[in-house]
Order: sequence, then structure tokens, then C-alpha cells
Amino acid sequence: MREPVPWGVEGPVRGEIFLVWLNGDRLELAGPEGPVPWIVQLDDVEHPVAAVERIVNGLVGEPLLVHSTSWRREGPAVLLSFVAVIDPGQAQGMATEPIHRAELARSEATSAPAAIAHAQVLEHGLRHLAWLSQDDEVVAGRLSLSWRKALADYVPEPFRSLP
Amino acid sequence: MTDAQLRLRCACGWEASGDEDEVVAAATEHGERVHNMRPTRDEVLAMVVNDSGLS
Repeated sequence: MREPVPWGVEGPVRGEIFLVWLNGDRLELAGPEGPVPWIVQLDDVEHPVAAVERIVNGLVGEPLLVHSTSWRREGPAVLLSFVAVIDPGQAQGMATEPIHRAELARSEATSAPAAIAHAQVLEHGLRHLAWLSQDDEVVAGRLSLSWRKALADYVPEPFRSLP
Repeated sequence: MTDAQLRLRCACGWEASGDEDEVVAAATEHGERVHNMRPTRDEVLAMVVNDSGLS
């Protein structure tokens, strides 16, 4: 039996959503198709953050936070990475798994990293969220004490490109 | 439209199978709800495989 060529998101700008939630004191990754980055199509009309908020809202309800944390080029597209924080109740029914720490993908002085794994993008995203939780009153106000404790081990890091 | 049994797989792992109308409807719903895509019927049908040997 012939296997279909996978159908997928197209277009020059795409979103990569990491749907994260706090299971007790442990950060976990969930998603509509499993604990993997959730890829969505973005267009030149709707603001990317508004689009991601709308898409997450449509699937699991209003997220606690949506933040763009990095971008990189992948194949023919620019991929914008987002961390979306949801409540435990919103993760019910989705496959989910604990988030493990990863080394960041670091660029050379004048060249991009040879490869960037999803775990590295998520690691950077959570470091970015850790930074925001200390630097941004809105983010700090949306994250519970338990969330801020869970992020305490992440080295705060601002937004950057992972080219 | 045909009664051929078609199958479509999304890059995210989701799959649909059925006749042409069923696969197009399922892919349209999945594309809009999960990936913010609005595929045309032709775009969906361009990606299916025919498991029945019918055309």
C-alpha cells in the first residue's frame, strides 16, 4: 500500500506553538496532535500573535499567555516560535509529556547553528518566559507563584533569532 | 466524485480516510481548526492516495 506524501502547512510565514502547562510543579508540553510543536499557517493580514491567540482559543479556550520567543528559517519559510501557557484543565484530553532541559543552539560568530532541535527552541522559549516573568509586569501578573518557581531554574534570556 | 477509498496524512500525524467527500470534509475541518489553513478541494485531492484501486 502506497503511503501518502504528508500534507502540511504551506506559506512563507508559519507559526510553531509550544503549548505548555504546569502539572503540579512540572512543566509539560501538550498539543492537539501530541506533545510536539504545533505548526500553523500565518498570513499577511492578521498579526501573528493575534492569530496564535485565536487558534489556541479556538481549540482549547483562552490561553493564559501567548508570547513570541524566537524565529528561524526552516526550509522555504520563516518560522515564528510561540510559547502559549494554558491551564491544567485545558490540557485534558491531549497527549502531554514532561519538558526536559536542553542545551541551547548557539550560533557561531558569523554563521547560524548547523541544526536546531525543537527541544532547544522550547528551552530558549522557557528561558525567555523566565526573563519576562522578572521583567514584564503583565507576564508576572499572569503567572502563578508555582509557575514562577518552575521557571526559576531557567536562565532568563530575551528574545532572539535562531537563524 | 467517486466511491474510491482515499487516504490523506497530515505532517502532524493526523490521518483521514474515506470517500472523496469524507476526506475533503475531514481535511478542511482539520486544516482550519488545527493549522489555520483553508485548503481547496483540489489541494486536498492532490495529496491523497487511493487505497481502493478505483479512480
